Amino acid sequence: MNKTRPAALAALALALPAGLAACGGDDGGPVTLRYAFWDDNQRPALEAMIAAFNEEHPDIEVELEQNPWEDYWAGLDSRFAAEEAPDVFWNHVSRFPTYASNGVLLPITDDIEDDGLDTSIYPENLYNSWQFEDEQYGLPKDWDSIALVYRLDALEAAGIDPATVGDLEWNPVDGGTYVEFLQKLTVDANGNNALSPDFDPENVVQYGTAMSSNTGQTDWWNYAVQNGCSLQTEPWGDYAIDAPECVEAIQFTADLYNKWHVAVPAESTNQPNGGVPGDYVVPGQAATTLDGSWMLSFYRDGLEPGTWAVADNPSGPVGSGTVINGLSNAIYAGTEHPDEAWELVKFLGSEEAQAIATGMGSVWPGVSSLNQDFADYWAGEGIDVTGFQTAAEGTTIGYPLSMNDAAFGTAAMDEFNQVWLGTKDAQAAAEAVVAIANAE
Amino acid sequence: MQTLVRTEPRPEQVAPRRPRWRRRTTVEAYALLAPSIAGFAVFLLAPIVIVAVLSLYDWNLLSDPEFIGLENYRELAADERALQSIGNTFYYVLLNIPVQTVLALLLALALNAKIKARNTFRVLYVLPWMAMPVALGVIWRWVFDPAYGALNRFLALFGIDGAAWLTDSAWAMPVIASVNVWQYTGYTMLFFLAGLQAIPAQLYEAADVDGASPVHRFFTITLPLLRPAMMFVLITSVIGSFQVFDTIHVMTAGGPAGSTATLNYQIYLESFTQRNAGYASMLAVILFAVIALITLAQAAFFRKRTVYDFS
Repeated sequence: MNKTRPAALAALALALPAGLAACGGDDGGPVTLRYAFWDDNQRPALEAMIAAFNEEHPDIEVELEQNPWEDYWAGLDSRFAAEEAPDVFWNHVSRFPTYASNGVLLPITDDIEDDGLDTSIYPENLYNSWQFEDEQYGLPKDWDSIALVYRLDALEAAGIDPATVGDLEWNPVDGGTYVEFLQKLTVDANGNNALSPDFDPENVVQYGTAMSSNTGQTDWWNYAVQNGCSLQTEPWGDYAIDAPECVEAIQFTADLYNKWHVAVPAESTNQPNGGVPGDYVVPGQAATTLDGSWMLSFYRDGLEPGTWAVADNPSGPVGSGTVINGLSNAIYAGTEHPDEAWELVKFLGSEEAQAIATGMGSVWPGVSSLNQDFADYWAGEGIDVTGFQTAAEGTTIGYPLSMNDAAFGTAAMDEFNQVWLGTKDAQAAAEAVVAIANAE
Repeated sequence: MQTLVRTEPRPEQVAPRRPRWRRRTTVEAYALLAPSIAGFAVFLLAPIVIVAVLSLYDWNLLSDPEFIGLENYRELAADERALQSIGNTFYYVLLNIPVQTVLALLLALALNAKIKARNTFRVLYVLPWMAMPVALGVIWRWVFDPAYGALNRFLALFGIDGAAWLTDSAWAMPVIASVNVWQYTGYTMLFFLAGLQAIPAQLYEAADVDGASPVHRFFTITLPLLRPAMMFVLITSVIGSFQVFDTIHVMTAGGPAGSTATLNYQIYLESFTQRNAGYASMLAVILFAVIALITLAQAAFFRKRTVYDFS
């Protein structure tokens, strides 16, 4: 017993200064803010923006906390429960309604007014998407859309002219030129493509496309929108994916796997344990994919310059739309440093900060005037990214808004994984998802 | 030949009366135990009580919990996924425990014999238990990947078309159970080895004199004398088996179609993907009750059996 006492005292002595330091923020001393995000691809841009922030605010230290998407929300929720959430964090429209209505977000309406912030620098719909019951809960960090990413070497080997990629069309009956394009790019071990009568679907070395998504955003939602499905009856309304135009698109997605054999099998790509689409394109297991603009740097870092490119999405029966989305930086309602957190959010939303991110080709900016900067960065890398801008126009819809996103997301992944595997009917799966998602 | 003394169960608990000088030692013993008792209260007892209380609430983790009485328990009867997960749990335990226990016992018998490099083999079999389950799960997931995995590539060499191991609902659970058997058999073996080494050699010598066959010796000497080890192994591994989580999380995340979601995994899903912390707490109480009942039943079963004491 006696031996433990000095040790305990030593431990206490060590703990004391740490405890005092933690209280330092209350009297105007240095403050540490925790800033949580999920996409590690964007870490370099975040670090550069924080370095710039520290030039103006040397007394505010920002600690980055990264958790991948699959773990991010569970971690955040449990820290809301423990009242120890990060001061500032990336927010997503799918979670925003639940968070705002449960009071875990700090309204910044008054801060915006007091500081005379010019919010017209953001696209109006992007800015407004972070409003709930007349309060603003975040400043736009970025926007994103989906476009067709493809490997030039695969197209060359298949004898396809890259200039034709932007004009592909699909339909649920015979697949159209888009499926034909993917069939040409699906090659078995003997060198036969999926159009050949000798094609062996059990022994494919390169697939036409790779589809994988935790939500639907980089797989079936694209075909759904292109087939006239709007996922919900209206924003904030019920989920309506059992409508005929939606089920048809879900079936088309399943056909890409199981009828045409042009997609990396669902056994490998199904979420949450499968890879992201780029994981199949970069090593050459797939020739193309429909992927998000936030993944551009992933392809840049994984592939040689000049071996890949971006094109417009294929057109379905009603157009070539997709789902657009954006993130915001939000402040935790329970933060001990609301003033400093606002300073950080204000800076991250500024043209100055977002110019740093666009200059690194990180993400399409929330600040409209910087869109050209982002496009210019990628033009410098030899990549024409206007496909993402085209995708943001026309028949494109916004990300579904609902209080029941968690129930919808879990049910959709669970049910559609089975459809992609070919073990469940598209109609039955869509009905099951709607029944669960609209029940709460 | 040594005389076998049949004693009442758990003779070691009948302690001789304590002399007075020992009382101070008792105080010191409690003082030394205090930290672990405090740890038990804070990290085990309190969470159990909190979970039991939470199971009477509706709580989304974000707002204040709302008391709803036994509503969560009533909902369970109509919750197909939760009922399926209870069935999955028993299925997993049945796939896991018998194979693991028999394999561990056979390994222990083999490695108790005087063979070359015996210690090397013992270490090799225990290694999987020492590794991180999550890291192993990631590697096994890759091995079982239907298109790019090592197993199906290997099978293809012999012209065998391997299954979609982790996305076929018939295969997924047996695959996960086999990974966990592989991981924990060596660890279980250690307890049997210790048990085997405590069996006096004279018994086997006497049996040899009587002309008993190896099988006969195993069932009349080895197995009965391994009973304490068997009791420990079965109780701890059944509990561990009911609580399986990491391998499932990494390899299948409960899929396909919930076929590998055990009750413990369902608790995680309800709490952290659906924000139903109260409902998940109710499931945790159910899991606790199931484990407690089965452990009590096992303890009762073994307590009825004779224990042999050679002291």
